[in-house]
Amino acid sequence: MNTGIESPQGVWWKPAHRTERYWVIVAFVWCIVLFAMMPLWHLKGGQNPSGIRHKVDPQAFMARTQEFINAYQVGEENGIPIVEPPPGSDIYLIGVMWSWRPTLRLQKDAEYILHISSLDVNHGFNLYPINVNFQVVPGYDYGLRVTPTEAGDFRIICNEFCGIGHHLMVGRVIVVDDTQTTASAGGVP
Amino acid sequence: MALHGVPQGIVSPPTSTPRSEDAGDEHGIGGRTPGTVILVFVFLLAFVLYYFVNWKLLSFVWRIG
Amino acid sequence: MNGSFRTCPTTGLKVHAQADGLIKANAVVATVALLIGGIAAVLVMLTRWQAIHLLSAEWFYRMLTIHGMNMLIFFILFFEMAVLYFASAVLLNSRVATPRLAWFSFWLMVLGTVIVEWTMFAGKADVLFTSYVPLRATPWYYLGVILFAVGALLVVCIFFATLVVARREKTYTGSVPLVTFGAATAAIIAVITLGHGAAIYIPTFLWSLDLMHVDAQVYRLVWWGLGHSSQQINVAAMVSVWYLLGAFTVGAVVLNEKISRTAFVLYVLFISMASAHHLLVDPGMGPTWKVWNTSYAMYLAVLASMIHGFTVPAGVELGQRLRGYAKGLFEWLRKAPWGDPGFSSLIFSIIIFGFVGGITGVTFGTEQINIIAHNTLRIPGHFHATVVAGTALAFMGVTYYVIPLIFRKQIAFWPLAKIQPYLFAVGMLIFSVAMTFAGTFGAPRRHWDMTFSQAPYEVQFSPAVDLVMGVMAIGGLIAAVGGAIYILVTVWSVFFGRPMPEGGQA
Repeated sequence: MNTGIESPQGVWWKPAHRTERYWVIVAFVWCIVLFAMMPLWHLKGGQNPSGIRHKVDPQAFMARTQEFINAYQVGEENGIPIVEPPPGSDIYLIGVMWSWRPTLRLQKDAEYILHISSLDVNHGFNLYPINVNFQVVPGYDYGLRVTPTEAGDFRIICNEFCGIGHHLMVGRVIVVDDTQTTASAGGVP
Repeated sequence: MALHGVPQGIVSPPTSTPRSEDAGDEHGIGGRTPGTVILVFVFLLAFVLYYFVNWKLLSFVWRIG
Repeated sequence: MNGSFRTCPTTGLKVHAQADGLIKANAVVATVALLIGGIAAVLVMLTRWQAIHLLSAEWFYRMLTIHGMNMLIFFILFFEMAVLYFASAVLLNSRVATPRLAWFSFWLMVLGTVIVEWTMFAGKADVLFTSYVPLRATPWYYLGVILFAVGALLVVCIFFATLVVARREKTYTGSVPLVTFGAATAAIIAVITLGHGAAIYIPTFLWSLDLMHVDAQVYRLVWWGLGHSSQQINVAAMVSVWYLLGAFTVGAVVLNEKISRTAFVLYVLFISMASAHHLLVDPGMGPTWKVWNTSYAMYLAVLASMIHGFTVPAGVELGQRLRGYAKGLFEWLRKAPWGDPGFSSLIFSIIIFGFVGGITGVTFGTEQINIIAHNTLRIPGHFHATVVAGTALAFMGVTYYVIPLIFRKQIAFWPLAKIQPYLFAVGMLIFSVAMTFAGTFGAPRRHWDMTFSQAPYEVQFSPAVDLVMGVMAIGGLIAAVGGAIYILVTVWSVFFGRPMPEGGQA
């Protein structure tokens, strides 16, 4: 036997001791489990980053978002429009240095197709405090089927460095429970 | 030892080439590392726990697809 | 210009004067980069600790850029260039293949480094380490990176040429040692990595001159072929250094050459797929691509690390048992030379790399779990455990052997050197775990003001996050003291240290 800094002499392609062999087998089985979990979660799990993905011209996405805002706007706060789209619809969110447009008001347990993109540079979508994160890339439309499973007042924090005003880039998502009154939602956070 | 400030691996180098007959038979070099076996299984246990705790954490968030 | 050889009185290895000089030069520049990156690290950390919030937003992002480039590129690659010369010329008793070209490459890398440092400090490249297009830096920045990368690529070629020279001139018998084999895999991965680097920085350089268009998603895909693969150079180099330190400190044996070498080959085969780890929640790729690539084709590169994670400590155990420490399960570990900074670095490097860095890395690199990890503090928590507590600590440990063997100097401030790995390891452990924990609450990485005091909407993180960020800063400061001791000890030893006695070991 030799150390790692000595040249092995002759043939070194020899069978390993059984302890070492067993460990390799155990490790390999674990690797297969790690691998299998991902397709399995696509079949059985409720959280997958698949989405409907397209290339899109940033200006065209901006225009589409503006159309969406015009159609469903119910108010305004801090210069950002608040929209209340019908359940099941396509909804749009755009990251622009350094804000998220618009503020979304959604129904609990309703599914939406949330299209996210950026007008300028990379941004990061972090839904606070749920801790759901997606990369927002200019030129790409990421259409995620989203079902809010709890009501509340949420924030969108930008978590991809996007310039000097990065830390100012906070948006808002409000989820209302249809079974309760919606009067307070949309007001002061 | 007069050499202050030199790692012991240089001052008194470990026997670098143990006699191969000490190391078990021709086919079975290796072996006799029961301490390491325990350590790697502790590692595997930690790995399995952390991995599945994270799947659990993921299952709490909104439905996304 | 072949230069002369000296015979190392300790190991009996013949050391080529050019190899000596190249190792020294690369190690010195690496240490300077470590110092710059370390100072930046402390400034960044004291800003993220909201109780102090030291820097302005502008200087925070600038320092973060400087920290990333100096640590992940300049420090670690200059050090790896030294490792390549050591693993080829020194371990194989050979001359360096083309010393003139080697020095040219070294100075090219230094030139690239100086250009990049200048652009960063002058505020012309506030784009962070990743420089995601369309964030724009001055063309000089990209040019500096390109020059550096060309230099590094040349050194890798010289490494391969030296292997050929050694074989042709029969400077060793049998096969190359495992450490050299591991370094060769690191070098092959370096070629893959630098190829990606050229494929992305050259177009980006042209883009910065308005000569072509670069797609933001394509940039991320190809850039991470550089960004993640370069960390896999570090892994392969670190594992080689593990085997090296095991051999130096306790005469660790190689259990089975076949298994260990095959594991290194797995790194080469599957590592370049790791770019996908960063694109799991990106809009550009579909689930099949993500699942297959993030798993390195069914986790075969993870398998390689799990194999080394067994064979390295088992080699240490067996080496110790063969030397008589054979009682019970753990006498080999209890009676190990814990006062030798080479050995303590080795053990802490293995433990923190595996238990913290490895486990978190594989977990966060899972397609769906990435949804609750991407761009939060969990990510830097993971890679500080791998690349700092793992790679950098292993490199620190091997320095305590390189200084007596190559620089022929005794280690200054020996008692400080002995505790240095402990401080650094404990500090980085606290730092990484705290960071990972804060990220679990969704705390963002690369963020100047987590209190959002000037933002349009109020964001109130759990008080636990504030507490954990304070713990993180304390861990980081302990590690910084360890890093400072390392720099003090190595610089003092090299420039003012007492020379090793000539002619035979003590």
